[in-house]
Amino acid sequence: MDALFSDFADAQREGNGNKLAQTISPAHSDEKLRAIWKSCNAHSVKDVLKHHIHNSSSGKNRLPQEEVKGWVEVFFCYWKAIDDILAVQDSATNGKASHSSWTTVYESWKDLLSALHRGYLSNGFEAWTIPCLYVAGKHLRVFAIKADRERNSNASFDSAAAANFEDDFNPESEQNQKLEDCARQLNRVFNLCLSDRAPIDESRKWGIYYVINLLFKTYFKLNSATLSKNVLKALSAGKGDMPPLIAFPKSQQVTFNYYEGVLHFLEENYVEAERHLTEAWNLCHKGAMANKELILTYLIPCHLLTTHTLPSQKLLEPYPRLQRLFAPLAQCIKKGELHAFDLALQDGEDEFVKRRIYLTLERGRDIALRNLLRKVFIAGGFEEAKEEGAKPVRRSRVSIAEFAAAISLGSQETIDNDEVECLLANMIYKNLMKGYISRERGMVVLSKNGAFPGTGV
Amino acid sequence: MGPTWQPVPPPPGTSNTMAAPYPAPAYTPVQVRQTFGQPYPTTSQPSPPYAFGLYPPHSITPTASYTNPPPATMNPAPAPAQEMEPPKKKVDWPISVRHYVQRSFLPANMDPTVTREEMEAKLKETITQANIKDLMFSVDWSTMSLPQEMIREERERSRKLPQEMRQLHIPDNMSPTRPVAYSPPYANSGSKKRKSSDLSESAPWRAGNGGGRLEDRVSFTSDRGQQQQSAQEPAAPATTSAKSKFQKQLEKRQKRFDGGYKSTYRSPSPPPSTGPVVGTCQDLEKRYLRLTAPPIPSKVRPEPVLRQALEHVKRKWKSEQNYNYACDQFKSIRQDLTVQLIRNEFTVEVYEIHARIALEKGDIGEYNQCQTQLKALYQRGLKGRETEFKAYRILYFIYSANRTALNDVLADLTPAEKKDAAIKHALDVRSALALGNYHRFFRLYNDTPKMGAYLMDMFVVRERLAALCNICKAYLPSVPLRFVTEELYFESDSEAAQFILDHAGREVLVEKDDGDVIVKTREACRPFEAARAAAFGRIDIKGQI
Amino acid sequence: MASTQNKSDSKSEAKQQPEQQQPTEQKKAAALEEDDEFEDFPVDDWAAEETEAAADKTAQHLWEESWDDDDTSDDFSAQLKEELKKVESSKKR
Repeated sequence: MDALFSDFADAQREGNGNKLAQTISPAHSDEKLRAIWKSCNAHSVKDVLKHHIHNSSSGKNRLPQEEVKGWVEVFFCYWKAIDDILAVQDSATNGKASHSSWTTVYESWKDLLSALHRGYLSNGFEAWTIPCLYVAGKHLRVFAIKADRERNSNASFDSAAAANFEDDFNPESEQNQKLEDCARQLNRVFNLCLSDRAPIDESRKWGIYYVINLLFKTYFKLNSATLSKNVLKALSAGKGDMPPLIAFPKSQQVTFNYYEGVLHFLEENYVEAERHLTEAWNLCHKGAMANKELILTYLIPCHLLTTHTLPSQKLLEPYPRLQRLFAPLAQCIKKGELHAFDLALQDGEDEFVKRRIYLTLERGRDIALRNLLRKVFIAGGFEEAKEEGAKPVRRSRVSIAEFAAAISLGSQETIDNDEVECLLANMIYKNLMKGYISRERGMVVLSKNGAFPGTGV
Repeated sequence: MGPTWQPVPPPPGTSNTMAAPYPAPAYTPVQVRQTFGQPYPTTSQPSPPYAFGLYPPHSITPTASYTNPPPATMNPAPAPAQEMEPPKKKVDWPISVRHYVQRSFLPANMDPTVTREEMEAKLKETITQANIKDLMFSVDWSTMSLPQEMIREERERSRKLPQEMRQLHIPDNMSPTRPVAYSPPYANSGSKKRKSSDLSESAPWRAGNGGGRLEDRVSFTSDRGQQQQSAQEPAAPATTSAKSKFQKQLEKRQKRFDGGYKSTYRSPSPPPSTGPVVGTCQDLEKRYLRLTAPPIPSKVRPEPVLRQALEHVKRKWKSEQNYNYACDQFKSIRQDLTVQLIRNEFTVEVYEIHARIALEKGDIGEYNQCQTQLKALYQRGLKGRETEFKAYRILYFIYSANRTALNDVLADLTPAEKKDAAIKHALDVRSALALGNYHRFFRLYNDTPKMGAYLMDMFVVRERLAALCNICKAYLPSVPLRFVTEELYFESDSEAAQFILDHAGREVLVEKDDGDVIVKTREACRPFEAARAAAFGRIDIKGQI
Repeated sequence: MASTQNKSDSKSEAKQQPEQQQPTEQKKAAALEEDDEFEDFPVDDWAAEETEAAADKTAQHLWEESWDDDDTSDDFSAQLKEELKKVESSKKR
């Protein structure tokens, strides 16, 4: 306890938010937590805390009475939460029954977050202390996940039915009860930061992106992208008096750009997605390999659809997993091997689906098809020159039968000409190929200047 | 100048529908299938035994359940109509009273020594008195003693009363019991064994549709599981007759004794009641009422009765096709299952059948509710037609363009499920649309297993428009009408022509000298684009690059 | 496919039985795995030189065109040419 409050006193004197936040972290060694917990008992704890916090400052730095009160509440909650955490851990190690569970840990940690929240609203906590909110919010999320997992492993989902008497609820949302509650708590913190009207250099607005990133993480786990959109809406509504994103630490910029990029990706806004993901990629710490890999996981499918470009060998090299994921597809697209593309997509299906990129990659088939048709076109060679020395012109009339032969290549299924025409019509409709189909003559008449736009022929 | 086109009669040159090259029509247009999102069509069927119009469904206030005379225990098999009788004087209760009623029935506040019947009687008495005295809005209901507390106090006091008076408080279950044969007036005489024809073959509502693939759509599949033949199920124990005069006098006296209703609020909660409610109601038919308080056992049907009720509603559905009636009955069966926490394969069956009927009648709200529950039930390992309903789910997400959900479904499919015919069909539909392969899409549409076509009907128009956009941009200078008819699986040239007229105007169709009709593609591009954009409307599929 | 799926339910039911033993062991894939979450950076901020953009000045070489005109000697290209020739000759006949 003495050590804890000597750190507290230092942090207060220095105005060091991160140091202060460490004093309410649950991520300390077992011994340290146990020492804190043992240094007082339920009867004496408030008095002990009051004494310590009161004495942690002096002279003109002395904490105002209100603030002392606020911190006493915060540390009281902290002490109770430690009690619960130790109890859960003990019962896990020695198998004894315990009064505590991750649910009780979650609840007592939520009390801590609420005490902090009150501290800002009524006890005059200053903005430099917001890293405390980070620590509290971050661990609330961790405890929520543990509580849900624990409950799902032993409980049934009958409680909702029993409480409502009706069957118009979704049993699945029961599984994330605490995490959903956690999202609500984080949303309160978000508003606490967003609504601060203090001058910007003393404003809690500096906490906003950290909290948003926590919220994104939570909503993603809840599989609720729409809720993330609401956060973005609230953010842009209050953007006027907000410092620009670029003024925030790079860790927050990168994380925010990543999530915003993936959100756009999931909504099939590939252009926006690419913009944010590229920004995240550029700013990312070069050593953060796992995060870089995640950024590329979405950036590569984006590039395929927006600019029809593929990752180079050099780009994939440092990431064996990405190589395994994308290299076979990229190879098929390049060669226009349609059937092999289908097989490669099938091979990777589980992994693609798990990463939410299957539906995007599937559309890469258009590019593979375009490349195949392009090969047919090139193989057609040139028209016989009408006059001496004229620029050679490619044969621009290609029969459906030729395209059909190419499309069927490698596949066991025979594809009838109507379906081939359908695929060609798609290419034309999507501007991947220029020209028109003459149904009467059973051929495609391709444009003489740029039959396959952007590919040099 | 082209020929003039009449919108309704078949355009010239198209009147000879091409019977020969076509298999049986992809579907027979049934009026109800075009009513998605609209209020249910009122059927011309004869009215059900009880008229729905009298009681607005789903919006019943507690009034209906609690101002009636103390219910069923006094009367083993009340006719439904009687039980539903609306209160004589309808009073709009203040919200505080409703909360009071709810609070009374909170599991945490229940007292095992006090029966629901007693509570109800007490509640009724309390509230009626307050109403008579015009105190409904002035009484502080939030601190009012709960009925069970009042009853306990009464018992305390009654202990001081003479012995013979106390006997009136003998609990209901101590009274002599006498099994009562249950035979509702509408039940068939004799055994109610299911006929093999039940809903699985040649149901009357399936006949007359020309057979063909429609059969797959309305495959009201045969039942699994044995039906418990429990028509002669003994009724709940008969109980003492209605509240005796003595008892009423006693209560009156007690009221005088404690000076009205201001008994002190007791904070310690009585021990919570144990387990879910177990129903005793024997009615085959039961109106659905949304519950706002814990259910009363006498109004909840146990599983054997629910099994009969399901057979009953299926029979009625078969013969009367009254969806409002069927839906209401299904909802009350579902509710009885829910409150009793009955989660077994019978539960699955109930939801599956309701889902199919709702799908057929375009009641997407109920359909989705059933699907949500089914998903959870299957996840518990309960057996049913899981693959059939997963396939519907996929088709529905295609319709609603719910990409996230589609991805989730894909992620959850097992390799075995992917091989299932219905699921494979739905997945093929998905990928055909994703790749713009309308040719394959319409062949799949024509060959949809089970009732999936009801779902595909929901997006086939917009996909036809999308395909026409493709065709009109890619083909020059024209395509034969017959080509459109065949590619987009219209039933006839005239149907295709009508579709084109409706969306692109008459200028784009031209009858050639040889009598063939062609579609002028260049001219049709713009109107079809506009129609396509409108059809995809709110659920616009973004990011088509 | 078409021939089997329209058959009566009794048939497909029998076939489905073994498949339906599985739902309990179904993979739960709805949410991304824990290890797929974007990680907290060990440090809050870093200098521009530490960023990926600075580390790789040759960013333009990270992406390449999706078609390949140089390599036409592979099996697939050869096969394709073969097929096209066949179409050509059948047309002439």
